[in-house]
Amino acid sequence: MSEIIPKVFRINTGSCNGCDVEFVATAFVDKFHIESLGVELVEDVKDSNLLVITGPLTAKSEPFLKKYLNQMKKPFVVVGVGTCSVSCGIFRDSYAINGPLDKFVEVDVNVAGCPPRPQSIAEGIAKGVKVLNQKMHGEVTPKKIDTIFQDFSAPQTFRGKMALHEGMCTGCRTCETVCPSTAIKISKTDDGFTHNIWHNSCCYCGNCAYFCPTGAIHSTNNFDTAKLSNHKYTDINIAHIEYETCTKCQEKFMPPSRGLLGKAYVHDDVNKLNAKICPSCRKEANFKRMYA
Amino acid sequence: MSEKITIGPFNPELEESVYFKLVVDENRVVEEVELINGFIHRGMESLATKKNFMQNLILTERVCSLCSNNHPFTYSLAVEKIAGVEVPLRGEALRVIADEVKRVASDLFNLSMLTHLAHRHDLMKETLEIREYMQDLKETIWGNRMDMSVNILTGTKYNLNDEKVTFILKTLNEAEPRIKALQKAYQNDAVFKDKTVGVGILPYEDALEIGVTGPVARGSGVNNDVRVKAPYSLYALRPSLQPKVTTYEEGDVYARAMVRFGDIIEAIRIIRDVVADLPEGDTYLEKRPHIPAGEAVVRTEAPRGELIYYLKTDGSQKPVRMRWKVPTYSNWEALKVMIKGDKVDNVTMILNSIDPCISCTER
Ligand code: SF4
Ligand code: SF4
Ligand code: SF4
Repeated sequence: MSEIIPKVFRINTGSCNGCDVEFVATAFVDKFHIESLGVELVEDVKDSNLLVITGPLTAKSEPFLKKYLNQMKKPFVVVGVGTCSVSCGIFRDSYAINGPLDKFVEVDVNVAGCPPRPQSIAEGIAKGVKVLNQKMHGEVTPKKIDTIFQDFSAPQTFRGKMALHEGMCTGCRTCETVCPSTAIKISKTDDGFTHNIWHNSCCYCGNCAYFCPTGAIHSTNNFDTAKLSNHKYTDINIAHIEYETCTKCQEKFMPPSRGLLGKAYVHDDVNKLNAKICPSCRKEANFKRMYA
Repeated sequence: MSEKITIGPFNPELEESVYFKLVVDENRVVEEVELINGFIHRGMESLATKKNFMQNLILTERVCSLCSNNHPFTYSLAVEKIAGVEVPLRGEALRVIADEVKRVASDLFNLSMLTHLAHRHDLMKETLEIREYMQDLKETIWGNRMDMSVNILTGTKYNLNDEKVTFILKTLNEAEPRIKALQKAYQNDAVFKDKTVGVGILPYEDALEIGVTGPVARGSGVNNDVRVKAPYSLYALRPSLQPKVTTYEEGDVYARAMVRFGDIIEAIRIIRDVVADLPEGDTYLEKRPHIPAGEAVVRTEAPRGELIYYLKTDGSQKPVRMRWKVPTYSNWEALKVMIKGDKVDNVTMILNSIDPCISCTER
């Protein structure tokens, strides 16, 4: 049985350049080790069996994408590079966008990031190569693949996946307001709030963390974003921020953020300050203390 | 016998999607050029009016990731002009540092694509390897290799400390000699020169008439670098920072490449000067300033040339209208002059030599 050579062809469906430039870097800079995968860059889409597709799929690109796809021999593998290709990212609400990509072609691997690190792009292509091998042998796209490249050390300062310190968040919605790609959704529940961050919509800009008044939402340097497409709707950071019950009146209330209290009462032990009574009972107690 | 040839829209030699219809004669010399656009149109002017001022800081960054600092920078200048805000001096300095780092990275990327098209693989690899200095720098200081998220209204998000300044200087000290050696390598490479000298000529008169900007203008002997002609931000406050621009008379692909080398070397000098005398104080004035009703036009020098922003506000949280004129818009027109009469095999190289940013132009 002859070895299958992955033949890569890149299609830009309206990217901002970021993903394409970083794909070029991934393909030609040695430190990203893509040559260890034995891939070949081909000139003609007809010769290709591994498509790398970037961009949110603009209206004008759509018919041409279909035309190119029709020229390809099955089986082939599609690796979507960049948040745009996964969910249209920051451009989602525009009239000129017909994506995301998986409306028109079966996508095998998604690489979120805006743009993704070359290491993530390389990982995405590596996973694509594995899927290609399986498809070539008549198998279906697997549900799980182990990480192929192990070197995932990004600088501490790298803006990777966002995360939340639940105890510090007050559900103030600042992050939701400043997020440019509607990646954050805060919804009310009976006993508090749910705070969701959709990693596949996020453009990793750090606005949320910067404007968050409590320091609850923060970036991590985790960039493990090259995933099989069955993870598309599950790669979410879900957090529950629960109300507290007032020890006096039993009403539910949103406790003040420990992050904010820490900023306001620099010399006190915040945990002691934070007696579990609601704002109206606290006002009443203060009034009595001063005037009664 | 003339022949019709199409290039694109998805062409592996071109980083962005463009579509050319050419008519060539029996010697494969181009007689007619038709350029078909719109593949990267994402409706961004409309999107900008749907997003608030904070979101637009990031949206403008995604106009184009190659000059992704210039867009939010210019957008912020426009908002600040309307709000009558004076950015703290340190904020201005930090903005300029980020901008010049992006310029180096952007120009190096363009040069790498040029050598790629000239089939000078080792030069291309070396250019990309050197660009990695800037990529690592961006990732370490700002957290992303392309979209640095530097600007906020009234200043910058990031700050520098001694450790970071040392890292910047170390990076520049390592990169600069390699860049200078690289320029020599380009200048001494017979194959590269053969493919670029005398190719895609834009004469001085045409450059003036079409109104080209940036390295395309300077390659044809026209110096209209905004940092010199209409300085803004720290370039206005510290005239010594203004670049000593490189101009060439030849107007060919080679000249434009050499102008970019000149820009890179000057950018490095500017970054060194700014960090050597970094103003103390805050990096921004207010996190969320009030933006009254108003109208503003500002311009800056992006890696590809003059970038103009028009902004209209009505006192609400979102712009009423935002429009930008990007360098490639005027440089693109020059392609018709450059390509006509040249060999069809040179078309992609000529296209690359204006360092086109289609995503800026079509947005
Ligand atoms: S994912 Fe981000 S970097 Fe990539 S094309 Fe979209 S906006 Fe640009
Ligand atoms: S993460 Fe921060 S900004 Fe977002 S709701 Fe919580 S406290 Fe507010
Ligand atoms: S980093 Fe935060 S603000 Fe930016 S897109 Fe992601 S969730 Fe939204």
